[in-house]
Amino acid sequence: MVTVLLMILGFFAGLLGALTGIGGGVLLTPVLALYFGIPIREAIGTSLVAVITTSAASSSVHLQRHTTDIRLGMTLELATAFGAAVTAYLVGYFNRNFLEGLFAAFLLYSAITIMTKGGKIRPDDESSTNASGEVSIPPYEPKNYPLGMGASLIAGGLSGLLGIGGGPIKVPVMYLFMNVPLMVATATSNFMIGVTAAASAMVYYRRGDILVQYAAPLSVGVFIGSLLGARLAPRVHTKVVVYLLVGVMLYLAGHLSIHLLRGLL
Amino acid sequence: MSQLREPAFDRIVALVLRTGAFSCFFVLLAGLITALFIPGRIPLGIERAGVLLMLATPVVRVIVACYLFFREKDFRYGWISLGVLVILMLGLVFGIGEH
Repeated sequence: MVTVLLMILGFFAGLLGALTGIGGGVLLTPVLALYFGIPIREAIGTSLVAVITTSAASSSVHLQRHTTDIRLGMTLELATAFGAAVTAYLVGYFNRNFLEGLFAAFLLYSAITIMTKGGKIRPDDESSTNASGEVSIPPYEPKNYPLGMGASLIAGGLSGLLGIGGGPIKVPVMYLFMNVPLMVATATSNFMIGVTAAASAMVYYRRGDILVQYAAPLSVGVFIGSLLGARLAPRVHTKVVVYLLVGVMLYLAGHLSIHLLRGLL
Repeated sequence: MSQLREPAFDRIVALVLRTGAFSCFFVLLAGLITALFIPGRIPLGIERAGVLLMLATPVVRVIVACYLFFREKDFRYGWISLGVLVILMLGLVFGIGEH
């Protein structure tokens, strides 16, 4: 029964993730912690597996459209993977309540950021698409690598700490400061998430923080959900989905805070 | 100069990721179905293999990209990929026996 529930949960997380561009990790971790009684650290480790699944599935699609900058991604991965491995290691020494509080704060912060952006997460298609579905992107040269590496280190650190992808940090930095077209920035960020999450997931796995019996049905659901979501994306009114997502995030942040306070009192 | 537009390179890396995601999906599914009929250690072992397959997919992706860069004599990015691989391996060494 729990297996079926986890598959359904993964399915909706994958679907929402593919429709909005917000990864599943930020939703899966609190749901696992609050409604499946999994300690927060194991919840983070378990949802990291689903995060890798999403990244692999979706970035293979982006790669086939030739919108991923593999060279830029590889370079920034030096920083994201390092940051992720270090914080994943440090999490072993963190107080669980502190971790839960941090996660609630991050959920609240993300929800507010999305809301102030007016429900616009997905970039408008700035590049032209020709009849054969090929995307043409104007030539560009990434610049400002030190800033990009710094932001990637922070994004990676957050990923190892909370089991999230860190797209909301990397995409704006690449787009605004590194001279990378938005479409390429989004695809490249997605591409990087797999390696970043793998760097921290290995540390969590060695520590025994990935619960295989939960990760298996979750990843199966996420895989189906994100494939369906990628197909539906062009036909769905994203704004409605985004507000739904914000609502779920706020609810989870609230419940997590109450859960934390109950544990402290 | 744009860094994009290397269709063959993109296709190979995409193939690695897709193969990893699909094979992980089918192994995990096999584990879940097995669990319906045989309870206990066997399905858990299959599921563990699926999870490890998922963790290995990004590593294989880095190895393949590293090989492709060196083959193209693009040494700068070959070394960068090797660096990413080393960091990933550090992740395996970190966290041993930590609870």
